[in-house]
Amino acid sequence: MTIHPSKSPRENVAALRNDRRVYFTNTGPRDTGQSDYKNRHTLYDLIRLAPFYNRSGYFSIENHGGARFHQNLLQNMIDPFEEAILWKERMPDVMTQTLVRSTNLWGYRMYPRNVIRLSVKAFLPYVDVWRCFDFLNYVPNMIPIAEEVMKGGKLFQPAISFSVSEDCTDAYYRKVTDEILRISGGTESVILCIKDMAGVGSPGRIAQLTDALLQKYPDLVIQYHRHATDGLAVPALAAAARAGVKILDVTDDPFTRYYGHAPVRAVQALLQEMGIDTRLDLPGVDKAAEAITGFIGHYQEFESQFRGFSYKVTEHRMPGGAFPSSFEQAAKGGFLPLMPYILRGMSNGNRFIEYFDVTPGSQITWTTWAGIIQYHYKEGGLKQVEDLLDLCERFIARGQSLDAFRPEEKEALLGLYARATDDLKNLLLGKYGPLPFGWPADWVYQSVFGDGWREKIAKDRFEESPLAKKSDEEIGRVREELQKKIERNPTEEELVLYLQHPGAVVDFIRFRTRFGNTTVLPTGIWFDGLKAFGSEVNFETRGKPNTIKLISIGQEVDGVKHIVLSVNSTMHVFPVEMPSHKTVQKAGTRFADPTVSGQVASPIMGNVWRIGDKDRILKTGDIVKEGEEIMNIEAMKVETAVLAPGHGVIREIAVKLNEAVVEKQLLMVLEELPPEEQKRTRRSKTNKKTR
Amino acid sequence: MPESQPKTIRKLFIANRGEIACRTIRTCWELGIRTVVGYSDCDALSYHVKLSDEAVHLGPSPAALSYMDIAKVVDAARRTGCEAVFPGYGFLSENAEFARACRDAGLIFIGPSSEVIARMGDKIATKQTLADAGVQIIPGLPRVTSADQMVKFGKEVGWPIIIKAVAGGGGRGMHRVDSADQAKAALERAVSISQKLFGRGEVYVEKYIRGARHIEFQFIADAYGRVIHLGDRECSIQRRHQKLVEEAPSSLLDDRLRNEMGHVVVKAAKEIGYVTAGTLEFLVAPDRRYYAIEVNPRIQVEHTVTEMIVGLDIIRMMIRMAVGTPLRFRQEEIRITSHAIQCRVNAEDPKNDFAPSYGTVTYLRQVSGPFVRADSGIFQGCEIPPFYDSLISKICSVGKDRPTAIERMRRALSEFNIWGVKTTIPLLKKIMDHPDFVSGRFDTDFIDEHLAELLDYVEDEDEILKISRFIAEITALGKNPYCR
Repeated sequence: MTIHPSKSPRENVAALRNDRRVYFTNTGPRDTGQSDYKNRHTLYDLIRLAPFYNRSGYFSIENHGGARFHQNLLQNMIDPFEEAILWKERMPDVMTQTLVRSTNLWGYRMYPRNVIRLSVKAFLPYVDVWRCFDFLNYVPNMIPIAEEVMKGGKLFQPAISFSVSEDCTDAYYRKVTDEILRISGGTESVILCIKDMAGVGSPGRIAQLTDALLQKYPDLVIQYHRHATDGLAVPALAAAARAGVKILDVTDDPFTRYYGHAPVRAVQALLQEMGIDTRLDLPGVDKAAEAITGFIGHYQEFESQFRGFSYKVTEHRMPGGAFPSSFEQAAKGGFLPLMPYILRGMSNGNRFIEYFDVTPGSQITWTTWAGIIQYHYKEGGLKQVEDLLDLCERFIARGQSLDAFRPEEKEALLGLYARATDDLKNLLLGKYGPLPFGWPADWVYQSVFGDGWREKIAKDRFEESPLAKKSDEEIGRVREELQKKIERNPTEEELVLYLQHPGAVVDFIRFRTRFGNTTVLPTGIWFDGLKAFGSEVNFETRGKPNTIKLISIGQEVDGVKHIVLSVNSTMHVFPVEMPSHKTVQKAGTRFADPTVSGQVASPIMGNVWRIGDKDRILKTGDIVKEGEEIMNIEAMKVETAVLAPGHGVIREIAVKLNEAVVEKQLLMVLEELPPEEQKRTRRSKTNKKTR
Repeated sequence: MPESQPKTIRKLFIANRGEIACRTIRTCWELGIRTVVGYSDCDALSYHVKLSDEAVHLGPSPAALSYMDIAKVVDAARRTGCEAVFPGYGFLSENAEFARACRDAGLIFIGPSSEVIARMGDKIATKQTLADAGVQIIPGLPRVTSADQMVKFGKEVGWPIIIKAVAGGGGRGMHRVDSADQAKAALERAVSISQKLFGRGEVYVEKYIRGARHIEFQFIADAYGRVIHLGDRECSIQRRHQKLVEEAPSSLLDDRLRNEMGHVVVKAAKEIGYVTAGTLEFLVAPDRRYYAIEVNPRIQVEHTVTEMIVGLDIIRMMIRMAVGTPLRFRQEEIRITSHAIQCRVNAEDPKNDFAPSYGTVTYLRQVSGPFVRADSGIFQGCEIPPFYDSLISKICSVGKDRPTAIERMRRALSEFNIWGVKTTIPLLKKIMDHPDFVSGRFDTDFIDEHLAELLDYVEDEDEILKISRFIAEITALGKNPYCR
């Protein structure tokens, strides 16, 4: 029996169960890229690995989900659907895998159930294995996803968020596993994943947990997902395999850095020496490695600012996947030197409020502690930061008993969460689900909510499933909203993306409309464009070769540079507005926002030859009726009347008579009057006349 | 009238621009006639200037100061030693004063006499002339000045009715009125627009024929009273009375009706005293009753479809008739065995209420291949100025029957590729695919009725253009700001 995407989950799980060999999931394209390269790998590079992965004997390739999904829309300008489809086409014999964050799917908010179901269904055809975790190990949050995946005939892989603490006992994880298997129909058709997202499980701890779970569920197929941060990944993976784990997460050797995953060849070699057989086809694995070695140099700029393993992760527990984005934010915000203090703060924080540091928990932890440390640094420099951290540590040593501290220390402790974000407040009120080891101590609530904390707990904290309280999204309304923003009917795929990432998707669609599908471009061109005169880029679109050659770059004149390109042997001049100029331009030409009512846009490019109609010249403060002609634009001898979109008063006339305007330029701002107001204004106008 | 020795033209002044000027130059070259064109400021580098043997600067870009300035045009023709002037369509083509000025300057005006132009320019006079020639005309009211008149007329002949500008043409200045309560507002609007467009506010009304098709007949008349017609053209696919697709012959007429209408046309042209080529336009009601609406005393944009099926060059014939060459063809020799379709490619954005789209044509792939003809006045790199008509190219396909011609038109429209301006091409493609167009079930409301469907296309620039734009931007900036 072999594993194949065409087989049912039950057949594939049975094959795993009955196989003495150990399998691998390659996390290179998704999680390793997220943890060590800020998700910047281009589809152009990654997809070249597909034919090698397809014949390397991997159980699955994690090519989808996590933060890459958002990053693709935000900065890679890759359509997550196109990417998923391409992998599926080029890798038909190996399972594709995603990572989905229970109620948050591939986003950063909790979505209503109908959005979750719609989104999962949309990606089902292209994704075979669905790894799903909840940062509170609150299993009811996984139900809509579990149902859709299993109904769709794909492999559901529930994950337990793993960490190391006094509370994270075997008994706790057995309890979580019980709940998971209850919603998954037993052990028959699912794989349980131990998700060690920070890389903190020692070889002994993982072997023990695996054993504890298998004692209770001998038929359970277990996978171990582990980041490399503490430096112990290879032995921990080996220990897990010896204890009975069937699938291990690894990455290609040249992808390995510090926050990602263990190198496949080392793990395979160690297992072999231990007498554990694997199913890997090593020449295939090496081919992929060769290809990666060829392109990995492009991404140096995006590698982590701090390099090297860090055993301290066992205390601060920052997940591998969150490191790069945190570094990036710290570097952009200019507080990179504070990183060690933030991590130390996190080590204390997870004693005060216990949950698992993985999306969205890791974002809450990060913003909370980056905020606290920066605040104190600005107020009292490093000295105050160190004092605060010392105080926290003494507080923990004294069993979080406020009475043991002097009044000013007490005040400092109670001020710790004074600037808590809404996300942290929501977490403490159970809006993500109940916390895994109970609610934190009262002082935390006092610190977060201030004087009214008791009432807040009594009134707003709840224990039941947050999903049950969330009403369904009106999909039709959202579709109309998107249609308005992109000025055409969105596709079903665009709608699915928009439901999760509204802002990013609109910008992405605008980018695509202007620049097309840039994933056909080689990575160097994507990052830096053409450099030398006469240099060219060759790429294919639908099998047809294209050549674009740089002929010249003009001097910047009035904020515009002219770039001359030979496009498939035809010369083209592209005027490019330079960023310094763009802001000035924007200030000069204002465009109407179609989503704001009352902003009247020019329907065409032309000349404003009349403001008002033939009987009345309009000025600011005038009242206009719906459908009344308020302006007239002429172009190519054709007059176009601009009609008032509603009853209202003119707040602003944004153009002058005889001004040349462009399409969508803001012409006028109307403030709509409510029906009462209309009457009143009309009356007052009449009154004035009589007077 | 006894035949006289035809005059010779060695040099012709073409008082036009764009595709019709280029198309005329080609015929002149066949006849060994040298050409002179006029041009305005913005047209200095235009294609008609490049193509012509000589060119004369007429003046600033607005047409009133160049192409429509009679004194300048006549002077340019005389100074360059031209013996004749061809007006094309639009601009001065229907201006009787211009025809007279040419004649007074000793230039042959290639078109009917100024008297005929003057008469055909007045829609009321035209209707009277046609009625006198025994042609059925649409019930109407001349010189309407009050809404009450319109309401009374509407009640008599049945709503809707249509208001037209006396000085109108080319489909402009028409307003449909559906009921009595719309009459007042519509009349005011029509008068004001007519005043603005044509400098005259007089309007008249006619009964609006529901479900009508616009079918016209091309005729050729020599200076000796001989007239033949070259068959009919179907021009029902129009938007706000602007034709978009034309074909010949019409799929509505049978041979009996075609011959009957043809006789009427020839008779009318004779009575009018017409010389050279012209068109008599009809509305044909669903019951096959036909009403003459107007005479176009000039070459028409859609003359191409007739040329493609009768095998005659209409402009060549106009030149010949104008110099006094007698018509040698008999009506029986005109045989039509094929079908032709023309699509008008306009630089406008149908999705944005057909707003004009002007700018630089940065890339152009013209159509080519068997059974297809393209008349255009543009080239890669040219500027499309905002001052004139938005027609940039006409694509014509011909086949043994209508379905074949449609297939070839679809192919040609797919081949046409233009960057830099928006065009009617995506809309034309939708029309060629529309089941009602394909099966010949349509009337003059076709576009208005199906507008939402016909505009349901995604206009996409060429992928390679977009990617080039991206490379240009990243190259100018030195690095990609989107991924950083």
